[in-house]
Amino acid sequence: MIRRTFKLAWFKRNRYSLTVIAIALSVAFIVSTLLLTTSIADVGEPLNEAYDGVDVVVKGPEVAAGDGPVAGITAPVSSMVVDTLNASGYEAVGFTSPYAQALDPTGNPVGQDQSSANVAEPWLGDSTLNGYEISTGVAPSGIGEVAIDSATADAAGLEVGSTIQYVTDAGLRQAELVGIATFGGADNDPYTSTLLLDVADQVFEPTRGYDYVLVADGEQTATVDAVAPLVPEFKVISGTTWVEDQISQLDSFLGFFSTFLTVFAVIAVVVGMVIVTNTFTVSLAQRTEELALLRLVGTTRRQLMAQVVLEALFLGLAGTIVGVAAGLAGVNGLGWFLDVLGLAIERSDAISTSAIAIGVLVGMGVTVAAAVWPAWKATAVAPIEALRSAELEPPSAGRNRMIAGAVALAIGIGCLLYGIVQTDILLTGVGIGGAFLALYLGADTLVRIAARIVRPLLGKAGPTGTVASRNLERNAGRTSAAASALMIGISLIAFFTLMAATIGQFVAGDSVDGLSADYVVQGIGSQPEPALNDETLAAVATVDGVEAVVPLYSTSVTPVSAAEVERVGPGGASLGVVATEFDSLVLVYDFTINAGSLDDVTSTAVVIDQALADSMALAVGDTVDVTALAGPVDLQVAAIVETSLPGAPQPAIIGDLDLSGALGYDAPATTAYIIGTAGEAALTEAVGLPTIDVLTLEDYVDGLSSNLDTILALVYALLAVAVIIALVGIANTVSLAISERVGEIAAIRAAGASSRQIFWSLISEFGLLALVGVLSGLGLAWISATAFFRALSGGQINYPETDVLTGLLIVLAGLVGGAAASWLPALSAAKADILDVLRAD
Amino acid sequence: MNTELLDSNNSGNGRPDPQSDDVARLVGASKIFGEDDAAVTALDDVTIGFRRREFTAVMGPSGSGKSTLMYCQSGLDRLTSGHAYIGDVDVSTLTDQELSVLRRSKLGFIFQSFHLVPALSAKENITLPVDLDSGAEVDEEFLAELTDVLGIANRMENRPSQLSGGQRQRVAVARAMIPRPDVIFADEPTGALDSKTSGELLTYLRQAVDELGQTIVMVTHDAVAASHCDRVIYVQDGRLVGEALHPTVDDVLDKIRELS
Ligand SMILES: Nc1ncnc2c1ncn2[C@@H]1O[C@H](COP(=O)(O)OP(=O)(O)OP(=O)(O)O)[C@@H](O)[C@H]1O
Ligand SMILES: [Mg+2]
Repeated sequence: MIRRTFKLAWFKRNRYSLTVIAIALSVAFIVSTLLLTTSIADVGEPLNEAYDGVDVVVKGPEVAAGDGPVAGITAPVSSMVVDTLNASGYEAVGFTSPYAQALDPTGNPVGQDQSSANVAEPWLGDSTLNGYEISTGVAPSGIGEVAIDSATADAAGLEVGSTIQYVTDAGLRQAELVGIATFGGADNDPYTSTLLLDVADQVFEPTRGYDYVLVADGEQTATVDAVAPLVPEFKVISGTTWVEDQISQLDSFLGFFSTFLTVFAVIAVVVGMVIVTNTFTVSLAQRTEELALLRLVGTTRRQLMAQVVLEALFLGLAGTIVGVAAGLAGVNGLGWFLDVLGLAIERSDAISTSAIAIGVLVGMGVTVAAAVWPAWKATAVAPIEALRSAELEPPSAGRNRMIAGAVALAIGIGCLLYGIVQTDILLTGVGIGGAFLALYLGADTLVRIAARIVRPLLGKAGPTGTVASRNLERNAGRTSAAASALMIGISLIAFFTLMAATIGQFVAGDSVDGLSADYVVQGIGSQPEPALNDETLAAVATVDGVEAVVPLYSTSVTPVSAAEVERVGPGGASLGVVATEFDSLVLVYDFTINAGSLDDVTSTAVVIDQALADSMALAVGDTVDVTALAGPVDLQVAAIVETSLPGAPQPAIIGDLDLSGALGYDAPATTAYIIGTAGEAALTEAVGLPTIDVLTLEDYVDGLSSNLDTILALVYALLAVAVIIALVGIANTVSLAISERVGEIAAIRAAGASSRQIFWSLISEFGLLALVGVLSGLGLAWISATAFFRALSGGQINYPETDVLTGLLIVLAGLVGGAAASWLPALSAAKADILDVLRAD
Repeated sequence: MNTELLDSNNSGNGRPDPQSDDVARLVGASKIFGEDDAAVTALDDVTIGFRRREFTAVMGPSGSGKSTLMYCQSGLDRLTSGHAYIGDVDVSTLTDQELSVLRRSKLGFIFQSFHLVPALSAKENITLPVDLDSGAEVDEEFLAELTDVLGIANRMENRPSQLSGGQRQRVAVARAMIPRPDVIFADEPTGALDSKTSGELLTYLRQAVDELGQTIVMVTHDAVAASHCDRVIYVQDGRLVGEALHPTVDDVLDKIRELS
């Protein structure tokens, strides 16, 4: 039995080899994306563990909420709070984490990627409030001694006893590395590279106050209710809430990736299932005939089913083994790719068994189910009837299929609409799934309609055309299988192209065109953003050939009235503010002025961009009431410009240098435009810090879109894999569909059709399938993208950026892809020796 | 009727010389399948002609090369050596395109297992060779007459899967006849039919030769079928081993017995 099954499978190996490849690719894709998704290290555990001893946290009032490109502003907590609480019998310490970047022994920044923060924190000693524990060496005590987290030490190749260099906003420093620390049992504070310095270090600027005051039980039990009345001007939260906030901040960053990867994993599972199912749907007639014949010679139904299951298991197993192996290798490739992109995701080494289980389940389960179901149906009827129905085309789209399609469509559209209105990501996902299922089930109906429309045209091409249109109309399973493979491929391409265009539109903008600075000086990294302190600016200004230095001071404010917040939209509650030497700015930046005059800019009269004017319905002369560090400030609109400065958030307020002071803001500049002919090398030398880049205008402009490029690179990499899988699926479906028909083709050839006629009839048939697949894929992608972006952006992006030319290109690409996939099978079928087929009977 | 070894055309070894006005002829035709040890000589230096308006039966034991002879003669298969002519055209010189045109205009095929196109109706199957030729028109009168005589006129709109085996075979016969080909090749056309249906079919083929001037070459194992023919040729081990004109059933049976 097993031997016979194996022999049968071996006999059909050519037909099955593509199928096995398709299964393997699908499984590999599923396994690698799922593995990557599940291996994202849990950030909650170390944070909870490290700050277990923090009972209560006191923080300053929030001035502006941090949101995307807009940095949040929280007022500091005064050092008096620490004294008050200690005096009241609690254990309280001030906690601040300013920018600090460790350098490796060669002088390069360590662990510099887009996902990590680089900070200094005070060493809190034996206190339960200290999240760190020294694992090697000793704790830092006094100026000139530091400890670093163990992940940073590994990355930098630094050992206890060596000298370490690091950069703070005050400049370059040197110290002795006395200890290496762990954080809550982990190598580091998740996504953070930390230098632990003596509490008294100047970098913590105790005179300014603290970011937080951490409180633990002393003689008194620390609770929010007990502490709050003691520090009425400040916000008091529990330690648990504080940790949760940090986790959710990290999650909102990681959430993007896990959502993204999960979406891809779901796509992988669906693509895999469809391709495996197609494979078996397409060869239904051949299988039915084979089964009927075996039944005729006396094989029992039980034996037959066992044989079918065994055969499917062989196929599934072969594909799955290869697929899982490739998936395990693939996840490392994906991880490596993320590292290269600077999106280092902290991953655990644990291999998720559930990821592999799902891969195996899809590979084996779907293969067996797809093989067994038609076999079960075929063996349910008398063998002769099965034999006849193998020849006789299955009746037009099964009623069940139509009903299922209609139900899926209703549910899909319902969920999509609800998802769009409520910006609910889950329902949107369900809706997209439903719409997809409806298209999958309804593909044959669509094809049938299309076939009817082009029937007169195909009929003109003679009987081969008639055969082509009849074949399209009569075989539901085969038709929808081929069309759906393309539909998936195209909708993936279209969806991500829309996504790329939309993100691009959202992030970039035309503002760079106005910039004519010769150089831009800017810190590397953004959490927190490294400063260009006065010393650096002064050093740059004295370089030969520098004519002017225009520093930009960025901050954020909150529009005062709730009504204004409402108008700016959810998530847009904070407004980005850029303060600069306005007189110099106009030398390097050519604003497109829509209203007002730049001459009217004073310390409280500002320039706003059109986006802000539109969203808050502002005109020149109007007042914008904002809350800043200094409290409520009234700003006048002096002018409205088309776009804000490059790299600055939109909507934005741009004002003179005095604006910074008026808002109560005293942080250093983060970017400076430079006019002059001084060389890059001279400027770099003057800056003298590896953490600050001197960029030519060109490099700066390129860099602006590099974040986007990174994400797009990731998207396209995954997309390429998905498209390859879809193409293999199409090629497999088409070649199986054609192999189903060799008998028919030979008969027509014997009647005198030339191989050219056969070839073109096959190509036109699959071309029509391709067209239906492509158009439905495009439609699905557009609807999905609309709903998805809305949900993901919380209603900020309502329509994907669409471009008719790109759409046409995609249609063309789909048709070419479909034709390419059917070209070889069609050619070999058309050229096949008639006699081989006729003799085969 | 007498079985006679061949007449004046006989070149001495019992083999008829083909005439240049023959509809189809093989000259020194050999076909070898496979190579070296596995080589099978299916046709061994065969020279034969098929005359216009003649109904020829090809007989011989299983595996003797009958089908191969027919396939090579019709250009469906290529000879290893020698020549196959349809009219005065050497089929080995034709391109695939030209062979296709030849098939649809000058040749008709009837196979043991009908090889109809499942997607097309009976009528569309019949008119297939004409429809494939963009210039040609179906002769509706001839079609009506054909289907009427064959008794399938009322099944024209049905798909092959809805027809009985005999009906399918008659559709195949009509398909072979419709372009009024120079020659029809039939490989065991009655093999799948009962004696009554096969009798009717043979009567009809006979009629086609007598009344329409059709030329037919038919491979058969059936002595009764062969007795409907003008001429029977015997094949053994890829060689022509005998020929009879207007044989009776008994003549044929005797010859078969003699050969085996
Ligand atoms: N494609 C092929 N490859 C190899 N050998 C072949 C092939 N086709 C036929 N043969 C061999 O050539 C010889 C002649 O075969 P052919 O089909 O012509 O016999 P036949 O006289 O038609 O027999 P039957 O009466 O059984 O149909 C046989 O020995 C057969 O095995
Ligand atoms: Mg034969």
